[in-house]
Amino acid sequence: MNATSAPGRGHIDIQDVCVRFTQNGVPLDAVQSVSLTVNPGEFVSIVGPSGCGKSTLLNIVAGFLKPDQGVVTVDGAPITGPGADRGVVFQQYSLFPWLSVRQNVEFGLKMQGLGRSARESRARTLLGLAGLLSFENHYPDQLSGGMKQRVGIVRALATSPQVMLMDEPFGALDSQTRVVMQEILTNMWQQLRLSVLFITHDIEEAIFLSDKVYVMTARPGRIKAEIPVLLPRPRTPDMMSSPTFLALNRQLRALIREESLAAMGGELGEGGLAGHDWHVGAEGVGAML
Amino acid sequence: MGTAMRIQPVHDARAYPAAPEGAPSDAPAGAASATAQAVAVRPVAAPARPVPAVRFARLMRREGPGLLLGALSICLLIGFWYLATTYRWSFYIRFINVPGPVEVFQDASRLFGNEQFMTNITISLRRIMLGFIAATVLGVTMGLLIGRYRRVRQLTFPAMEILRPIPAIAWVPISIMLWPTTETSIVFITFIGAFFPILLNTMHGVATMDSVLVRAARCLGASEFALMTQVVLRGAMPHIFTGLAVGMGVAWVSLIAAEMISGQYGVGYFTWEAYSLIEYSHIVIGMLVIGVLGLLCSGAIRLLARLVMPWQIAAGKENNR
Repeated sequence: MNATSAPGRGHIDIQDVCVRFTQNGVPLDAVQSVSLTVNPGEFVSIVGPSGCGKSTLLNIVAGFLKPDQGVVTVDGAPITGPGADRGVVFQQYSLFPWLSVRQNVEFGLKMQGLGRSARESRARTLLGLAGLLSFENHYPDQLSGGMKQRVGIVRALATSPQVMLMDEPFGALDSQTRVVMQEILTNMWQQLRLSVLFITHDIEEAIFLSDKVYVMTARPGRIKAEIPVLLPRPRTPDMMSSPTFLALNRQLRALIREESLAAMGGELGEGGLAGHDWHVGAEGVGAML
Repeated sequence: MGTAMRIQPVHDARAYPAAPEGAPSDAPAGAASATAQAVAVRPVAAPARPVPAVRFARLMRREGPGLLLGALSICLLIGFWYLATTYRWSFYIRFINVPGPVEVFQDASRLFGNEQFMTNITISLRRIMLGFIAATVLGVTMGLLIGRYRRVRQLTFPAMEILRPIPAIAWVPISIMLWPTTETSIVFITFIGAFFPILLNTMHGVATMDSVLVRAARCLGASEFALMTQVVLRGAMPHIFTGLAVGMGVAWVSLIAAEMISGQYGVGYFTWEAYSLIEYSHIVIGMLVIGVLGLLCSGAIRLLARLVMPWQIAAGKENNR
């Protein structure tokens, strides 16, 4: 947004990354020469059919996985392993069940060697922002899914990371909670303005939250398209019915549909859907999808 | 009955202010002052008294049948014991020489003043503590390392698997040879008994822990040491406590066996010696003391688990059925 020139805080650069797996002795490309950039303060989503390697990419940036080829840097420094400079929010809430909500948020600060009172006040400030202060002494198992994930986000933010990596964070929530969580997240981002790399399979979620959406192909995962989202900030739910939003939605849906079909091609046989068109009727393939 | 009688004067007292002032003569005046006192007390006691009573009644309705059955279970056991020994039942199993409950309880009350008997108990407890604490420290530490590091597992686990099926009692002869004193060899056997259940359960706890928690901790900047002490250890805690509970049981089995075979002092030694000295009631006393001590030890572990893992209680994860 503001700076493609100077590599400021929270600049993720993925250059020509390949990841190979071996399945039954046969080498298989999970991710093939992917390059993408998250500029400082930018919210970037990756969407794609399941199994396209979106999460693999995130795991590389998080430092859990080494790419077989290519370079990944955050603020110019290559990634050597997981670290508190990159906050990660997982789909499975991943809160420590033996710690209270506040102790969960304090965990990263404790690892940095921060004193008790400093930890406590920072945790309380952040919990207040997320509307969770009255639950600070609860244990995670006493919270609802949406609340757990709010704690997960707050915990990842507590160490003031340069970037946030979010792996389908709302994937396990029901659709109503999901919509509310998206609003909470976009509001928090609006205040903090840190770089976010967001993985999702929900197209509307990607458009609503992002400055830029990358579409990945079916395996082997490559970048199929880079779509800028030119909706104004701050984002509000009523934008979801704006013409820009709907046009983007249509465009992304079409792109993903192609890839989902390609991914299912193997299952459907040589002709893809062509062999089945006697099922489809007058409306054609589109109606079936 | 008692409550009904106590309620009566209160009713009178309540009626009293409405009654004419001059009516009571001397004798009723004394009664009146007594009831007046009851009136004075009542406003304070009234709100407080029924509440515990109601709570108690509710508790009894919920827990009563269970407690009753529990008491019945123990009464049946003692009843059978009493009948079998009083009438000297002999039908393949022979109760001819078995002491009856009355005899046992009489001898027991005498024994609990006996200094040497109390020494036996404290020595057994000390052996359990030493062996069990050593097994906990070593079992948990090794369990965490073996569970977390593949190389450590590959290096140590095969040797463990060979030693594990050997019962602690089978270690008695070699233990006597290995250790300089009988005391240390008995502690060692207690240790062996507790060690393997603790080790295996800790390993299992590490293995079944959600790996995303380790990932999350590393993303939050946890060092390897912090990861072990603050995440892996905490996450394995429920399984570790299962290991401690099982380990405590096996430790007692091993201790008693070791004391019977090679011992001087201890409850196991006392029980076996009673048999040699034909003090039959002491055999049963020894057995009961072992049972009670074992019960207290596992109760202590359960209490410790509640203190160390408050989140399990808060989340209602405790299995109360």
